[in-house]
This record gives sequence, C-alpha cells and structure tokens, in this order.
Amino acid sequence: MSESASLVLEFLRLAWTALAGALLAFALLAGLAQILRVGSAGVMGANLWVWQSVSALLAVVVLALFAFLGIPQIVNALQTALPNGGGCGPINSLGTYASALIGGLAALRMLKAAFTGMLSASIGGASTFSNALIESGEAIFGMLLAGLAVPLAAWFLGTC
Amino acid sequence: MFDPIMEQILIIARDAWAFLSGLLIVVALLGGLYYVLQGTAGAAFGGSRMTSMAIIGAVALVILVLFAFLFLPQVGEMLKNFQPKPPF
Repeated sequence: MSESASLVLEFLRLAWTALAGALLAFALLAGLAQILRVGSAGVMGANLWVWQSVSALLAVVVLALFAFLGIPQIVNALQTALPNGGGCGPINSLGTYASALIGGLAALRMLKAAFTGMLSASIGGASTFSNALIESGEAIFGMLLAGLAVPLAAWFLGTC
Repeated sequence: MFDPIMEQILIIARDAWAFLSGLLIVVALLGGLYYVLQGTAGAAFGGSRMTSMAIIGAVALVILVLFAFLFLPQVGEMLKNFQPKPPF
C-alpha cells in the first residue's frame, strides 16, 4: 500500500510542478495583456477601462503570490493536523494512505483553483473567479472534515 | 510525465509573449504619434491645456512601456524564485 501511495503521490507532485510552471507563465502573460489594455485605454481616454485593467493586474500578482506562498503553508498546516492513522492493521494503513492522498489532492485542487482564478481575473470573468475561490475553500473544508473522519472511522471500526 | 505538455505550453506562452510585446510596442508608437499630433495641434491654435495633456499622455505611455518591459520580467523572476516545491 505504501508503494501505491508513493506512486500516486509522485504523479501528483509532477502535476503540481507542471501546474505551478503554467501558472507562472500565464500570470506573466496576463500581466502583459493588462498593461497593453492600460496603454490602449489610456490613449483612447477610457478611464474606467484603465482602472479595471490596473485592478486586474494587481489581482493577478496577488493571486500568483497567494498560490506560491499561501497554498503550501495552508497545506502544510492542514497536513500536520490530519491524523495519519487511527489504530492498527489495515485501518492504520488505510488511514495513512487516505491522509497522504487527501493532502496531495487538496493541494493540487487549491493550486488549480488559484490558476483558474488567475485566468478569470485576467479576462474579467467575475463568476468564474468566485467559483475558483469557493473551490479553494471547499478543498480546505474537505481536509478539515477528513481530519475528523479518519479517527471517527477508526473508532467505529475498532481500535487496538 | 507532464514535461512534454509543459514544453508545449511554454512554447505557446513564449509565442504569446512575443506577440503581446510586439503589439504593445505598436500600440505605444501609435499612441505616441497621436499625442504628438494632439500636442502640435494644441500648440498651433494656442490650446495650452491640450498641449500639456498631450505631453503628460506621451510621458505616461513611455512609463507604461518601461513598466511592462522592466518590471514584469522582474516580477516573473521573483515569482520563479517563490515557485514552491510540492508540499506533500
């Protein structure tokens, strides 16, 4: 089971690295696009458009910083709070497996939410942006629920 | 496993960066020309406010382009340094 967990986690780690790289590339492109928008709007004298673009640029930078600095810290904090196993035998193995997978999946889901949020902020999609933030919150809430569920399942199924 | 996909994404992103940079230069040049025309017209018929607004606009355009070409790559470098390892 530990081999299977390490295999899946390795896959998730590769996905994390690729998604982080893509987020960086798209953040820079979104920044350049917003600056282009500021320039063209400024020349046309469209004040509102200029301020929209400046806010979108700031949102992109803040989201990228959140993704790179905030998400790893949140995941680390939640993973230390997540119990590894609640007993012995197969229950313990399953608990360890589940907590490792839950941590990896939640981290990846939060990074994906930040990526979607950054993309929608750069194109002005307010509803997609809020959906992405909700997804990020769901991932945190899911990890908190899992922190309760693993010891409860161990208690229900019997500990030694 | 994701490296080939990442390579393809980066190639597209590099192309898009070059395209947007070129477009920004074109828009900035056209905007600069427009401001020069506005300033010249203002100076010709004594519109001092029009001339000063045109000068401010041209300076703002130069600052904007400098911001895009000097600040954004630095932000990219900073974010690249912050790029986290998988936290699990």
